[in-house]
Amino acid sequence: MLSNTMKMTLAAMSLLAAGTVLAQPAGAQDKKFKIYLSLSYSGNAWQSETANIVKALAATSPYKDMVDLKEVISGTDPQAQISAYESMVDDGADGIISFPISSTALNRTIKRGCDQGVLFFMYDATVTEKCAYNVSYLTTGFGENTAQALVNILGGKGNIFLSRGVPGNSVDKHHTDGAMSVFNKYPGIKVVAEYYSYWDDRTTQQETAKALAAHPDVDGIWSQAGEYGAIQALLDKGGKLVPVTGENSNGFRLALANPEMQAKGLKGVSAGSPPATSGYAFKLMMEVLTKKRDLKAMNIEYPLPWVLAENVKVCAGDRFENGCNAFPESKVPSSFVTEVLDPVMLPELSMESAINGTAVDGAIIQPLPKEVKEAVNAPGINCEKCDAPADAYKPYKIEPIVAN
Amino acid sequence: MTSRSQNTSYIAVPDKRGNAKVSRETISAVSVAVLCVVILLGSRFISPSLGSWSQVETVLTLGSFLVVLSFGQGLVILSGGLDLSLPALITLGGVLSTAWVGAGNPDALFLLPLVLVGCGLVGSFTAVGVVWLKVPPFIMSMATSIMVASATLGMTNGTTRGAAPELLTDLMKSQIAGVPASILLLLAFVFFGWVLQARSVFGRHVYAVGTNDQAARIAGIPVTLTQFLPYVISAVCAGFVGMMLVGYSNGATLRMGDNYLLPSIAAVVIGGSSILGGRGTFLGTVGGAILLTTLGTVISAIGLNFGLRTIIEGSIILIALLVLRDEFFERLRAFRRP
Amino acid sequence: MSKAGVVHPKPSMKSVLLRGSFIIMALYIALYVVYVVQQPRALGAGAIASLFNNTVPLALASAGQAIVVLSRGFDLSLAGVVSITNVVMAVYPLEGPGGALASLAICLAIGAVVGAVNGWLVAYLRIQAIAATLATMIVCQGVALLILDAPGGTVAEWVSYELTDRIFNFIPVSGLILGAVVCLWLLARKTDFGIALYAIGADEHAARLSGIPVLKVRFFAFVLAGMIYGLAGYMLSAQTATGSPTAGEPLLMLSFAAVALGGTSLSGGKGGLFASVMGAATLMLLQKVLFSSGVSSFYTGIFQGAVLIIAVMFSALLTRLGERKNK
Repeated sequence: MLSNTMKMTLAAMSLLAAGTVLAQPAGAQDKKFKIYLSLSYSGNAWQSETANIVKALAATSPYKDMVDLKEVISGTDPQAQISAYESMVDDGADGIISFPISSTALNRTIKRGCDQGVLFFMYDATVTEKCAYNVSYLTTGFGENTAQALVNILGGKGNIFLSRGVPGNSVDKHHTDGAMSVFNKYPGIKVVAEYYSYWDDRTTQQETAKALAAHPDVDGIWSQAGEYGAIQALLDKGGKLVPVTGENSNGFRLALANPEMQAKGLKGVSAGSPPATSGYAFKLMMEVLTKKRDLKAMNIEYPLPWVLAENVKVCAGDRFENGCNAFPESKVPSSFVTEVLDPVMLPELSMESAINGTAVDGAIIQPLPKEVKEAVNAPGINCEKCDAPADAYKPYKIEPIVAN
Repeated sequence: MTSRSQNTSYIAVPDKRGNAKVSRETISAVSVAVLCVVILLGSRFISPSLGSWSQVETVLTLGSFLVVLSFGQGLVILSGGLDLSLPALITLGGVLSTAWVGAGNPDALFLLPLVLVGCGLVGSFTAVGVVWLKVPPFIMSMATSIMVASATLGMTNGTTRGAAPELLTDLMKSQIAGVPASILLLLAFVFFGWVLQARSVFGRHVYAVGTNDQAARIAGIPVTLTQFLPYVISAVCAGFVGMMLVGYSNGATLRMGDNYLLPSIAAVVIGGSSILGGRGTFLGTVGGAILLTTLGTVISAIGLNFGLRTIIEGSIILIALLVLRDEFFERLRAFRRP
Repeated sequence: MSKAGVVHPKPSMKSVLLRGSFIIMALYIALYVVYVVQQPRALGAGAIASLFNNTVPLALASAGQAIVVLSRGFDLSLAGVVSITNVVMAVYPLEGPGGALASLAICLAIGAVVGAVNGWLVAYLRIQAIAATLATMIVCQGVALLILDAPGGTVAEWVSYELTDRIFNFIPVSGLILGAVVCLWLLARKTDFGIALYAIGADEHAARLSGIPVLKVRFFAFVLAGMIYGLAGYMLSAQTATGSPTAGEPLLMLSFAAVALGGTSLSGGKGGLFASVMGAATLMLLQKVLFSSGVSSFYTGIFQGAVLIIAVMFSALLTRLGERKNK
């Protein structure tokens, strides 16, 4: 019995070992930069677009001959990402570009990696560890600015829903705190329902439907990503729409600009998390690695997209040209996040790169603008034991109306 | 305490099984329904708009996903198994029906049944593992789930394309004689499910196999087939839920099924089924599913902090479980017939 | 009455048990060899310690789950207990070794309270374990969100440094703690309680007839499991050094996979805690191996699923072969 087991175990071992040898990439020893892309991967359009444009950039000349990019998906478990970071550092990574699952849990692992000379670039979500570069729009006031826009549209009074992100998530809390700081200034604004939509269209639609059952008389919806689902839920209820502020899904942009929807009462603004951040972070990291840029670890701000209904412009081609900022329905699904392209920072990319991760034929990496904008402190988001500036949560995109 | 429960579980129950079974399970189903109504009416205190027909419509539409899903789950549990692969199959069904068919493509509608066949094949994969290779259902279906989710992710490269076929949007959104089609669909499905589980030969076999597969084998029941089919049916149901969700929200996402696993099990158990198999009714499960959905709608209307709302939701589920407990009914019956 | 010796475990039981853990050990070693071949740095003391630190929270969670599963139950409240203890550790850090000890006591107490509620619901009120613990899990998640509504806070430095450190620069502290739990279990298994636990899982009816206080044993199985989850939350906090109200959720399904991988039957009565710990370790190691073998990350799930099925089949097959020979 015992010998049988041993034999089988040995057989299994040798099989696995054989597989390993085969799986070893040929010629891994030349001087390419070893870059890891570490994702959470919650399986939504936003996450895959961020990954795809990094892949597309890494496949664009001249990076395609300089970079060995490997992608790792860790799910929603910070522990899995800790383990992944450790493996990457042990594997001799030069740089790690990542969407961090937690703003604090990864710190120690990151510190250990930094000490071994690994560059950490975080995009969109951030970490409080000082040796990592955070590239994010989080400090640009998505919450308070969209909230102010909604208040202005509603004339300072009305019943509203808050369609939030993921419970117990620091990004969700930051946005909501910002929004509430505005809503609280207006006694006429009443939050009648607050629900978690997991940044997902389908969940937003179902949760909004539930809230509508209790409050059919809602006047406006403040939403984080998933906003298109809120519009669908309103349409399901029959006819009437209300003002909605939300993020950058293509469906939402098209709806905002659609005269039929406007006639039903839809107004609002499209702002929020731009997937382009990952591409910007990747190019920054490459410039630092290739010594084209001297940049110490810091918090870097990516500007907040801000598109009102009258500014929505549908693109004729596959790129953001002539100020266009949405794609026709026939080209991309409604959940596609439009702000993945950027004519200034990421001229190398097209819509196809965002969807398939492929480089554009003949494109060549263009240098980034010299200036980077340092982000303000956001305690618990991008720094630990630090103070937020005095004017944190002050809307600047839009002039606040007077509370009555 | 000890001696009494010993009494009920080991001496009393098997003896009067024949005549007590039906009535107890009926009581269980009825009381779930009553609980739903109580919550709905009670919800008027939270918001005057609640408890209206419009809310009932919302609950039934949102609940229809869970009802269809927990029919499959219930059947698998009844046969003595458990199916954890449902979320992945919902996503598979949804993703395939947008990718293969999509909007404005009536010629490709014949592919919709093929999507269900595909889901059924995945279900038979699970079933092969459970029935022939004797892998515990929990592990087998979890492994299937991980594999299918990963395959779907790879297949779509992370981005789902395409919109809902018009047939599916019509199914979920149109009205027939003033009644939403989704509710008619729900009623038809409940009738079909009830017939299959409570009135068909197959249904009776599932009960027998779930109670005691050795005895069922001796009684000449095709045990293997009876254990096999529930997984296939469950997978097809999950795929169909994927389609319903696509119709409801006009598109698919890769995590559209994530929030349905525990509710599908909870609906079955709250509806009075035993997690160990052999006991339970589909009508009870329907009640459980509607109860959970009602609870969700009402809870989300309470203007409390999310943590407190979560605590309330858990407590109400617990109270429902306590009220729907076997012993409670035993006592009730004893009270009526002193 | 409570003399549980009435039910003699079958003489073959012990050998079967040993074989169960032997198989998973063999699998682990095989995987480790592959890992080392791919990644020679894996043999360094630092890499080993970090592997231990990664493994211990899941290993402990699976150990607790195994106890409940042995008594033929399911415990979903694991996710809730780990989350609550984690946020408590982050929101109320107690410095120094004394503080660490006090925190540990608090974590164990939280686990014991939740476990006692579960035990009471399942054993005395006779609610099905999966449903009762689902409800307690939801309540616990709510409590965790009340204590801390977004990830943050800092775990006491003493805890986060000392408990993830190495003694003599070699032996990982977390490994010692895990080892202590396993040793305690090996002792407990020989007691009346341990024997009764297996007996209930194997055949509750027979156990009851032979005078085992079934309700009491089942109650304490949940309490004990809850305390081990508390310890898991404690160790998780040491590793992440911060709190998250959803910290426990990822461990839930993995704990069941670990238990099954360790050859513990999910229908009760067979298997053990050590094998489940090894199952957890194998799952964590598998992540590393899949990482270093360069499988496209989209498809790693297919390998994980396949390994799960094959490992469980393999161990069932060997167990069956073993039983046949024993006859």
